[in-house]
Amino acid sequence: MTKQELTSYIQEKFSGEIQVIENDQKEPYLIIQPKDLHRFCRFIYDDTRLLLTFLMNMSGVDTKERFEVVYNVCSYRYKLRLYFKILIPYDKAEFDTIRDIWPVADWFEREIWELFGVNVNGHPNLKRFLLPDDWDQGYPMRKDWQGRDVITLPER
Amino acid sequence: MAEDYLKTEEMVVNMGPNHPSTHGVARLILHLDGEVIHEIEPVIGYLHRAIEKVVENRTYAQCIPMMDRFEYVTAMMADWSFALAAERLSDIEIPERAEYLRVIMGELNRMASHLLCVGVTALDLGALTPFLYTFREREDILDLFEMTCGQRLTYNYIWVGGVAKDIPPEFTPKCREFLDKIDAKVDDYERVLTKNPIWLARNKDVGMIPEKMVYDYGVTGPSARASGINFDVRRNDPYSIYDRFDFKVPVYHGCDCYDRYMMRIQEIRQSARIVRQALENLPEGPVRAKVSRTFKPKEGEVYSRIESARGEMGVHLISDGSPKPFRVRLRGSSYSHLCAIPEICRGLKIADLVAIFASLDIILPEIDR
Amino acid sequence: MELAPVFAWFYGLLESLGLGDTLNEIISEAILALVVFGFLSLVALFLVWWERKISAHVQQRFGPMMTGWHGVIQTIADAVKLLQKEDITPSLADRGVFFWAPVICFVAAFAAYVVMPFGKDLIVADLNVGILYIIAITTFTVISLLMAGWGSNNKYALLGGMRSAAQVVSYEVPLALSVLGVVMVSGSMSMNEIVKSQAGWAGFHWNIFFQPLGFVIYIIAATAEANRVPFDIPEAEQELVAGFNIEYSGMKFAMFFLAEFVNMFTVSAIAATIFLGGWNGPFLPSWIWFLGKTLAMVFLLMLFRWTYPRLRVDQLMEFAWKILLPLAFVNIIYIGIFAKWLGW
Repeated sequence: MTKQELTSYIQEKFSGEIQVIENDQKEPYLIIQPKDLHRFCRFIYDDTRLLLTFLMNMSGVDTKERFEVVYNVCSYRYKLRLYFKILIPYDKAEFDTIRDIWPVADWFEREIWELFGVNVNGHPNLKRFLLPDDWDQGYPMRKDWQGRDVITLPER
Repeated sequence: MAEDYLKTEEMVVNMGPNHPSTHGVARLILHLDGEVIHEIEPVIGYLHRAIEKVVENRTYAQCIPMMDRFEYVTAMMADWSFALAAERLSDIEIPERAEYLRVIMGELNRMASHLLCVGVTALDLGALTPFLYTFREREDILDLFEMTCGQRLTYNYIWVGGVAKDIPPEFTPKCREFLDKIDAKVDDYERVLTKNPIWLARNKDVGMIPEKMVYDYGVTGPSARASGINFDVRRNDPYSIYDRFDFKVPVYHGCDCYDRYMMRIQEIRQSARIVRQALENLPEGPVRAKVSRTFKPKEGEVYSRIESARGEMGVHLISDGSPKPFRVRLRGSSYSHLCAIPEICRGLKIADLVAIFASLDIILPEIDR
Repeated sequence: MELAPVFAWFYGLLESLGLGDTLNEIISEAILALVVFGFLSLVALFLVWWERKISAHVQQRFGPMMTGWHGVIQTIADAVKLLQKEDITPSLADRGVFFWAPVICFVAAFAAYVVMPFGKDLIVADLNVGILYIIAITTFTVISLLMAGWGSNNKYALLGGMRSAAQVVSYEVPLALSVLGVVMVSGSMSMNEIVKSQAGWAGFHWNIFFQPLGFVIYIIAATAEANRVPFDIPEAEQELVAGFNIEYSGMKFAMFFLAEFVNMFTVSAIAATIFLGGWNGPFLPSWIWFLGKTLAMVFLLMLFRWTYPRLRVDQLMEFAWKILLPLAFVNIIYIGIFAKWLGW
């Protein structure tokens, strides 16, 4: 399927609001509503003409107006790729987990929670991951985060 | 019943960040029942250098050395993935010679990484000699790299728009000499390991990754191809000039550690084929497109991926038109593989954990960034 | 030149001092013990150097070259370094057990040489249960490994100790059975008798030619007894970070280390004695034949270490109980038939 066919197939088959970002990259770029996230992922995983079964990447982004979580999925059988994201407002910073579809999303979501401070609904294990255990300086990847100039080492 | 009288407890053992056989600083908390593993809890973050935050304050040219440190075993490919992402967001034309040089360096780096992996897998399982043999070959590759860009491990060679500088005239004969002997050397390693009954006993049917687990955990690269999933970014989603080369992508169906080892051996041979073809067809010309020091790509987002030695290495780049990237997210395949380790190793023994960890070729800088 | 007349001359000198029988015996045995101890210490030093050189040349490098000619003084330098190290005992360790483990290992390794025939008439005590005595003494090592594992108060050490106990006990049985084959043919358990029964026929009377299967089983079981790769689970560096001797430092570690090499020499010496004809051989003095054959077996064991990967602990047990043990029984049956019918 070409990029155009893929976009129109998804728009036809999936009942939910989808916006398309137009650009000249090789794969379609879509924006999904946060409430449709789990249903959409289930749809692209199960649909027999898509079979987008590899979750390659989940990134958190802090554009200065809102959070975004970008998903990259890939289909081995049909050589398709899809880039979609959900937009999360600052004041209601949470999104649903998809770890029941892809267990690897467990770690991706944990990292987004830890570095951005976006809550993940339904995740059983939101613990410190990359940062040290006694980290108390907030959420580093946010654009308005200021690191301290002087850092005191912990007492032995 | 014996189970009622003998109350046995789970033993919690820490395979700590300092350990001879976790590759790098990975900490695994093992819940053991004697020798059998019930649960593994990986604790990471010992090598976290906040690369993704630091590059938000660097120009694109300054980001390339940071990418070297993102994955220092295959630093050429790490540079390449980032340069590819930046080029996808702009209109630069990469000269032919630069493309060929990128392929040569990338494939040599893949060979070096696989040689390291095979050597270290053998070392972890107690065969202490193949390690030194593979490192002997790896020294030749590192000498070639040192001749080209002056560095042995973190190269800063593949820049946005091409490569940093041209290869010296003594590169080609030395490279051909190396390629001529690598096949015989790989046969040597196979002679020690491949049909060795002890090697087979330790690796066959150990660490099975069935197809469903490959999809669940996003296992890519040689580990996925050893499970029968013929997923190679060079074929599925071709980038650069890989469609001009004639090479096979080996696929095995055993899903176990032994097939992952065989995958790497075969990939060394196939990479040698690619480098030979690239050296023969290397055209003349410039090695870098005209790119200003404050390179500004177009506004937009892109997720570009290459096939690195471990699997798919992805760079998700968001640019807002300024000379510094807005957001860079680096995706390394070891992240997903380490996420899969607790599931793969449930019910196996510690000795198997060592074999699996080595065969999945997990390196820590990709995980911690 | 044979060495037995030298010892006979010394004994004559001692007798001429006229101290009486018991005192003579005590002094002579004490001197013999010191001589054997000195010889074995030299052997251990030599073997450590030799292992490093063999491993280096197998791996296409040089090994120790700086200390002395081609590094011969390297082991002495290492021993001096280990003597200078602080002797650390973990605070929660079981002190008595922790202290005595290396001592027992060391003593057990050396005590086996009471019955070793170093040459013609060069044997400290020719017990008529010689080979049985050796098999019994070498089992003491497992006690010391268990003590080390328990006394260190460390989970890794405990795992190492448990594994070693399982391994050594499993491989004792095929070892004893393969030795039994030799005893059946030579009709005696005394080491000297076994060596004498292999004399003649220009070397073709050695037991290895009549019992090749027994020899193979013995070598495999002996590698396991000596805790060498492919059976070095108790000290698997890459898995358990040195296993049972993880908490030992300084002189105690040196004792374990030297005891391992002396053990390796012991099992090679037994192989040379019971399968390769002991000190039999033309032209050269008997003790040179003994040393040569033993060092050849040691070389074989060292090559094993640098070539093969390591077996997992359950595969090791499976191999001992399901493969080696039935083969050892087949060996005994075949020897019994041939010895009875062909009158060997």
